[in-house]
Amino acid sequence: MFVIVIVGVAIVVAAAGIALLVRPKNDPVDSFRRQIDALSPEARRPTIDQVRDAADDSGDNEPDDS
Amino acid sequence: MARDLAIDLGTANTLVYMKGRGIVLNEPSVIALNRQTGEVLATGREAWQMIGRTPGYIVAVRPLRGGAITDFEITERMIRLLLQRVGVSRFTRPKVVICVPSAITEVERRAVTDAARRAGAADANLIEQPMAAAIGADLPIDEPVGNMVIDVGGGTSETAVISLGGIVSLEAVRVGSFDIDAAIQNHVRREHGIAIGERTAEEIKVAIGSADPTQDENQAEVRGRDLMTGLPKTVVLTPEEVRFAIEDVVSSIVASVVRCLSKAPPELSQDFLVRGMYLVGGGGLLRGLAERIERETQVPVRMSNVPLEAVVLGAGHVIEHYEALKGMFMGARR
Repeated sequence: MFVIVIVGVAIVVAAAGIALLVRPKNDPVDSFRRQIDALSPEARRPTIDQVRDAADDSGDNEPDDS
Repeated sequence: MARDLAIDLGTANTLVYMKGRGIVLNEPSVIALNRQTGEVLATGREAWQMIGRTPGYIVAVRPLRGGAITDFEITERMIRLLLQRVGVSRFTRPKVVICVPSAITEVERRAVTDAARRAGAADANLIEQPMAAAIGADLPIDEPVGNMVIDVGGGTSETAVISLGGIVSLEAVRVGSFDIDAAIQNHVRREHGIAIGERTAEEIKVAIGSADPTQDENQAEVRGRDLMTGLPKTVVLTPEEVRFAIEDVVSSIVASVVRCLSKAPPELSQDFLVRGMYLVGGGGLLRGLAERIERETQVPVRMSNVPLEAVVLGAGHVIEHYEALKGMFMGARR
């Protein structure tokens, strides 16, 4: 029983070690590219449009002056 | 699971953006307290309406001045109440991104993040207001071109040149639209001998204040308390004398824009002539300010489509793309 526990712990530790080793490194070029992509007008469109949509909605509720 | 938040903790107004939902709160940064017990009586718009109109035991205060926390405990309570209003509780602790003036000190930064964490945030990160404003104003800051943004807030005015997702040059002064209100108050007191409150001064600024002569200028009747007799009195203010009263503040803002322009690399400077500078923030709505800056810098000035929301929208975008943009937090690049 004791041996099984030891082997189990060893397997878990080995798996964790392998996971750490194969984990993708924080590549500065990659993270810079991701940052620039996230700042592109296309990426920002949904955030900016939320306000535009809200403004349009409130405009729809206003009485028509015409 | 708490939805992450972006907060524009401004001297004048606090705006909150909730991930996936947009702007969920937009209220004045004011809190009303019972002076004797210390209990909070009101926050936001309700507290703002009490400014200058409270009985002796109530005090309505703005816990931020010049973009910095002047009263840590009150700020923490105000943030806690605002977060509660957008659904944050003891069990739902969101990540929070807070916009702050770029000129704040390390101690002031600590005060803001500590206040947010104590108020219920799981993690609090800061982003510079001009950077957030540029993102929210939809400027092409992902490109290698010069983007210039001027953010005139309640307590600070910041000008930044941004290219490729980073700040190239920056100039900040702790002067904003509240200083314009104070200048009007002082002028009316000195020249007309009547005392007016800060809300009246703000109304004068909105009604007839301008940084440069404009068309269709009108006079305004101002009511206050005569300093000699103590009785209510009405005087008439002209746009010219208001312009004269606020000249020092306006000059200080324009001078900071000029300093920022002079610090920009020449390759980016030429971009401004074509692309112009973008004005955001409530103070940017002062009539004639864009024209005045344009006249003194010879660079076109354009008003953002969302001058009041640009900063929180930019921070909101950062919270939407947290992993990709966390390198933009203050301190992350240093």
